[in-house]
Amino acid sequence: MPKLTLDGREIDVQPGATILQAALSRGHEIPHFCWHPGLSIAGNCRICLVEVEKAPKLQIACQTQVQDGMVVRTASPRVEAARNAVMEFLLINHPLDCPICDQAGECRLQDNAVAHGTGISRYTEPKLALAKAVDIGEHVLLDQERCIQCSRCIRFCDEITGTSELAFFRRGERTVIGIWPGRRLDNPYSGNVVDICPVGALTLKEFRFQTRVWYLENTPSICAGCARGCNVLIATGRQRELMTTQGQQDDRIKRVVPRVNIEVNGHWMCDEGRLSFERLAVAPRLRQAESGGSAADYDEVVREAARALAAAAQAGRAGLLAGPRATCETLYAWRRLGSALGSLRGAVHAIERGADDELLLRRDKGANSRGAAWVLAPPTGEAGLLDAAARGEIDVLVVLGDALDPHDTPALPDAVRARVETLIYVGPFRDAAAEAARLRLPAAAWSEEDGSYVSFEDRVQLLRRARLAGGAARPGWRIAVDLALAAGVELPAWTQAADVLAAAAQDVRELDGLTEERIGLLGAPGGLAATAGA
Amino acid sequence: MEKILTRNIHKERSVSIDVYEAGGGYQALRKAVRSLTPDEVTDQVKKSGLRGRGGAGFPCGLKWSFMPKEKKKPHYLLCNADESEPGTFKDRLLMELDPHLVLEGCLASAYAIRADACYVYIRGEFVHAAGVLDRAVAEAYAKGYAGSNVLGSGWSCELVVHRGAGAYICGEETALMTSLEGERGYPRVKPPFPAQRGVWGCPTTINNVETLACVPSILERGPEWFAAIGPNERNSGPKLYCLSGHVKRPGVYEAAMGLPLGELIYDLGGGMLHADRPLKACIPGGSSVPVLAAAECDVALDFDSLVKAGSALGSAGIMVMDSSTCMVKALLRIAHFYAHESCGQCTPCREGTGWLERVLERIEGGSGRLEDIDLLKSVADNIEGNTICALGDAAAWPVQSFVKKFRDEFVAHVQAGKCTVLSHA
Repeated sequence: MPKLTLDGREIDVQPGATILQAALSRGHEIPHFCWHPGLSIAGNCRICLVEVEKAPKLQIACQTQVQDGMVVRTASPRVEAARNAVMEFLLINHPLDCPICDQAGECRLQDNAVAHGTGISRYTEPKLALAKAVDIGEHVLLDQERCIQCSRCIRFCDEITGTSELAFFRRGERTVIGIWPGRRLDNPYSGNVVDICPVGALTLKEFRFQTRVWYLENTPSICAGCARGCNVLIATGRQRELMTTQGQQDDRIKRVVPRVNIEVNGHWMCDEGRLSFERLAVAPRLRQAESGGSAADYDEVVREAARALAAAAQAGRAGLLAGPRATCETLYAWRRLGSALGSLRGAVHAIERGADDELLLRRDKGANSRGAAWVLAPPTGEAGLLDAAARGEIDVLVVLGDALDPHDTPALPDAVRARVETLIYVGPFRDAAAEAARLRLPAAAWSEEDGSYVSFEDRVQLLRRARLAGGAARPGWRIAVDLALAAGVELPAWTQAADVLAAAAQDVRELDGLTEERIGLLGAPGGLAATAGA
Repeated sequence: MEKILTRNIHKERSVSIDVYEAGGGYQALRKAVRSLTPDEVTDQVKKSGLRGRGGAGFPCGLKWSFMPKEKKKPHYLLCNADESEPGTFKDRLLMELDPHLVLEGCLASAYAIRADACYVYIRGEFVHAAGVLDRAVAEAYAKGYAGSNVLGSGWSCELVVHRGAGAYICGEETALMTSLEGERGYPRVKPPFPAQRGVWGCPTTINNVETLACVPSILERGPEWFAAIGPNERNSGPKLYCLSGHVKRPGVYEAAMGLPLGELIYDLGGGMLHADRPLKACIPGGSSVPVLAAAECDVALDFDSLVKAGSALGSAGIMVMDSSTCMVKALLRIAHFYAHESCGQCTPCREGTGWLERVLERIEGGSGRLEDIDLLKSVADNIEGNTICALGDAAAWPVQSFVKKFRDEFVAHVQAGKCTVLSHA
């Protein structure tokens, strides 16, 4: 392994690594703007200039490969002077609008101005006036004055989506980024350019002016938009500290951004997933238990549902139709409830739209289709269950509503509604299935509960609660436990999702040996191939 | 001195292949492809001491020897005909008046580096020269000097004239490649160097027009003959000098490497334009090199002598300024050029060149402050050495040298709020 002496400390470096990669892998920060681990090297910002022994000029750390025995200084007076210079250059035409800029607080220019700027500018000439708030796409606005021409967004559209909507126009200090005439930044991944923009030049219309980023609380979780299972950070208002003008706690989801997981989504996510929380936010919610169309006490409704379900399950005439965005925990708890009561014929609803693309998007919108198949039922059972119900073979049908979008909850054919004696809806929304149900139990939606999903690549990943469900709503597995108690059958004394997962891992072969700890922030492979060796 | 590079330019129909052949043209190429190996051609050029005429003065044969010996991908020779350094107009002369000399140089050099094709990347504004070259290329193909199986040697080489769109930056070797590939003319971060990964990712050598035009005579008359022209083997060969500014006879002059600057101005150039206005300053190598004050002008025009004098031969664009010249205005004009031509890719050059221009504009306009003079130097220092390509240095050097050598004039300009030179010129 090549050896590098970095600021006096000798370290081993992966062959072929650049100085910047070597430094970052040791937690040694070298400032950078244009370099991004998911994109090609541009070398244009010049802030990462470092001193390499024997090289007469300063070298850019992002592009210079480590040679064995290389001696690099990243904090010498010469290096610091060059950083001061680059920062001064970057700021001469940059507007001082941090107080109204969405990027403030997570802006690399701001951070590096503090860390490597001199605090004063010698520039007294007028700043360049360029276009502001240019509408370049469905989700993205461009501020040409804030742009530092790092070309990350251009490289993203060239190298990742291959759509090349963006380019540099004009020359020298008049250089601006823009879209080609007649085009729009309308690829399905456009929001990523906002994430990778190191300054506030590209902003997301849906997040603009919503909040200051230091009021956000980030929760690592998994996108529920499709079977890819992109790792995300869910950003909510900080529950304790931020109050709205109405004096209420503001824990709404403000944005969702990708969380790096090279095995799953790399650095990116699609716009559909990024903005899926908006559908959740505006959907009519079921907050309280209801019986016969009017609000009722939760325990009351649970008792009523338990009675009906127990009788039908004993007679082998109970069914469960689950959405593919229910967690493994919920599905497993219902499976256990079914066996405890007698038998519960389980099926999983399928949500399929569009097509798989070459990057991330999947046609299967069921974020836990794979997990549901492992835990509850093979993916082919839906039609059979509904047919049986339409033939009058099912007395009690439980519908587990979709966790993300009311439109994705299975629609029940009229024949099913007509023949099923008791329809029980367990879910977060007032969707069509809920309207048809006599008994309604409010469940937590995506982002409101802990749990696990299994991606189409058999990767088990953890969802984390980012906000409270509100009202009487609770995780679907807890409702199963409540029903068991009311029906007088025994389920283990689970108090948190991790307990349910631990039980499932002992029972479901594909989850064998998995614990929340082993799954961790980046997920772990499940399925028979992975667990056979474990 | 006997004319080598300009030997044909005064002939009638000098652009035609017949005239060129009648003067012994294409014999060097014939000799190379029929009786020399590519490495032997390279060796001869190495021995001649030929250094690049485009600006940097890199030894030509050494550059060629960086090309892979074993061919895994196509090799390319690029002829840099994007001559756009202010004060430089020698390549244009060769292309307009002796295109076959340029093409023979291209082909013989292409043979040396085992090239499959040679692209002549010509500055967009050189419309006439491009037409002349196009016709010459067609003639060379017709005579079997280019294309498949050149002169029956078994070696094939395509020859293409490609017109740029008129950007100074595209004369920078890696920007030229990017432009040739059809992309925005941005310089590339080096390494990799062109010989490792050049145009279309293939090994590439890029030489200036005049450099390539020297090659036929080296092959005809031998490297020793070439090396003997000029002061020493590191500064050898015939050289074209572009003389402009306040002289009686501006123009392109061919002389041996190492021509004394005084001889160029006062003998070949006919002396200063106005008898009562003596020499004040001279930029010896195109606008990017440091200016020489009159007292420094007793210097030989070759690579090493000018470096010793604190400047550079660059592209041999010698700009002569007499006592009526306002150095603030002259520097502003240069700074404007670099601000206009900066490609905008990397931060120091993109932001710094515009800053320099605006400060100079303010001084020139009478709103300068004394601290602006140090600011100019500091901004230039912050650009120099920190950019992707040499344009940043090219923008910085004139500022540093003008401010250093003519500081009193800048001070006077600031204090008077106007030019103090023209009034008593």
